[in-house]
Amino acid sequence: MTRKAIIFALASAFVVLIGFDTLALSQAQDTGKEELKLQLPKPMFIGTPRNIKTSNLEVITGKPRGAFFVPKGTKLVSLKKPVTSSDMQPVIGELNFVTDGEKSGEDGYFVELGPGKQWVQIDLGAEYALSAVLIWHYHSQARVYRDVVVQVSNDKDFVAGVATVFNNDHDNTAGLGIGRDKEYIETNEGRLVDPKGVKARYIRLSSGGNTSNDMNHYVEVEVYGNPAK
Amino acid sequence: MSKTAFRGLFLVVLCGAAWLRVPGLGLRPMHHDEANQAVKFGLLLEKGEYRYDPVDHHGPTLYYLTLPIAWAAGKPTLASLDESTLRFLPVLFGLGILLSFLFFAKDIGRPAVLAAAICAALSPAFAYYSRFYIQEIPFVFFILGFIGSLWRFLERPTWISSLATGVFAGLAFATKETSVLIFGAVAAALVVTRFVSKRPQEGQETKGKMPVSRIAAALSAFLVTAGLLFSSFLTHPQGIVDSVTAFAAYINKSGTAGFHLHPWWYYLGLLTYSKSGGLVWSEALILALACLGLLAAARKRNPFAVFISFYALLTLAVFSLIPYKTPWNLLPFYAGFLLLAGIGTVFVFEYARKVHFAVPAGIILVLGFAHLGWESRQANVRYHSDPRNPYVYAQTSPDYARLVRRIDEAAAVHPDRERLLIKVVCGPYETWPLPWSLRKYARVGYWTEAAAAGGFDDAPVVVASQDNAEKLDPLLGGKYQAEFYGLRPEVLLTLYIRNDLWENVIRRKL
Repeated sequence: MTRKAIIFALASAFVVLIGFDTLALSQAQDTGKEELKLQLPKPMFIGTPRNIKTSNLEVITGKPRGAFFVPKGTKLVSLKKPVTSSDMQPVIGELNFVTDGEKSGEDGYFVELGPGKQWVQIDLGAEYALSAVLIWHYHSQARVYRDVVVQVSNDKDFVAGVATVFNNDHDNTAGLGIGRDKEYIETNEGRLVDPKGVKARYIRLSSGGNTSNDMNHYVEVEVYGNPAK
Repeated sequence: MSKTAFRGLFLVVLCGAAWLRVPGLGLRPMHHDEANQAVKFGLLLEKGEYRYDPVDHHGPTLYYLTLPIAWAAGKPTLASLDESTLRFLPVLFGLGILLSFLFFAKDIGRPAVLAAAICAALSPAFAYYSRFYIQEIPFVFFILGFIGSLWRFLERPTWISSLATGVFAGLAFATKETSVLIFGAVAAALVVTRFVSKRPQEGQETKGKMPVSRIAAALSAFLVTAGLLFSSFLTHPQGIVDSVTAFAAYINKSGTAGFHLHPWWYYLGLLTYSKSGGLVWSEALILALACLGLLAAARKRNPFAVFISFYALLTLAVFSLIPYKTPWNLLPFYAGFLLLAGIGTVFVFEYARKVHFAVPAGIILVLGFAHLGWESRQANVRYHSDPRNPYVYAQTSPDYARLVRRIDEAAAVHPDRERLLIKVVCGPYETWPLPWSLRKYARVGYWTEAAAAGGFDDAPVVVASQDNAEKLDPLLGGKYQAEFYGLRPEVLLTLYIRNDLWENVIRRKL
């Protein structure tokens, strides 16, 4: 009797889970969305630097990120697009590494910007409705980049019409306002930011050093979107 | 090379060395070893107290020699001291190392001395540790002083050379316990040199006999110098006994290296080629020139060149065989290689002239030296604390400077200001350099376990190591804002600031 009850309970739970999954998928389809297919680089390290728990750091689950849904027809719009930066002469790497499509964590695939606050800016060439931004700063070591801020605009100087889509600068060190997003440990999954369809041509990513050194790094930034109507 | 040209060029090299060593002395966060030495010096500065520690910290010269610099800078207390004041001492001795090469102009010639000085000025290893408040750079200076005076003493045993030999040996001994290894290597190199080098021609023999009185003077100078320093100028005679018993502790330490355990090729590897995170470092040019110096010494059998060759090789062998290794321990033998590089440079030009290749050889060398200078600048400015820099070793991360800044921000908006109560709950490995960084705060308590700290209600600021933070989170969670900071690679500290104080900090920043 007890065994039957357990089997019944497990089967019911399985059916419910499948049901929820199907429902979520059908809802995504109903709203014209599809799962964003990402190609992740291979992981460069295992584990995290001890068990860090602070209110401003994302909880480390160790599990893969779940599916992310974007409007149908969403494309990678940043590949090979021009990149400018607050540090136009990096000592290591080239600025075009940011959008060259190479996401490996090994040496030779990242650009290193100078110490302190620095930014890179991608010109998408036209206005897009942005659905996802993926950022890999440096994923061959477990580290946290400080004061990460992602802003978008149609103004290349980021003076007018600036929208902030991610900000974990919780004390306004960068002077771009207090951010409510959490800090996170770099992994091969990169950081996925949801710009919620905001329309813009330019995307600017700032950071202010990291827990290992004072430099700023970018392996790759991927921006997904659809042409703005 | 004329004397005037030599003097002018040497001055240029000295200025170049100063340019690589002096600017931005406070840029790099204090290494925990530097902080430890600084706090120990603070005790001497404020209370006149110094006791030789036979287990750790090395000898007393560093502290006593820092006193005049602190006085001259108008820094009478530990709280008033800063990184630049302390690091000015190794800078001075780093430049002194270049000047000490002048001792050897008579033995290897002015061009070789000039080339050796260029190598020393540009060497990333020497430039980096000349900005590091530890014993190593003064130690190398005293060793070179000892070698120079000893060589003069053996050549002509005057009162001055005998006393200088004793004083420099005493200073070297009172700086680092490993001086005995150097003395042994010097003695062995002298014996070998006697058999290998060219016999002096008639009329060029050692001038004067080796009177017992001068040997006794040298020994007395050694004992008096070391004795005064180890006994804290006769106020702590036990220090003299401890300076001998210390060897037991250091022998034990060298055998149980732990984190400092490295393979025998560690030092050569550091100098030859290092690649990490997109950065490549190499002092292979100096090593290559030093190899040519060895070749020149073997061919010409100049006594000093032969001696310095054996000295450099023997000390390299001894230090490489000891399992306990830290990168700054390469400096004593590398100083010998620098002199050999000077000899090698002259050898290259002598040969290049014969084959009409002097101009291309000169261009190659200038480019190589320029690259060394660029590496030195990178090592000291851009990558001063970056683990990819091969000379960075268990260095405090720049992220740690943010933690200290945050505590300063909190204290600035707290009514107690510098009497703000700060509780630090960290094991010994994570505690340093906090005592240095928090030196201006009058009420800082240190505990290794959270349970021993006696409650936290009275502490607006708490610093904890990660293992203690796990225990503190349930106690402080909700009442404190927690932030984490990198102390060293893979070592983190958690900073807790009470919510009311945190709100004031943020309000001020907006």
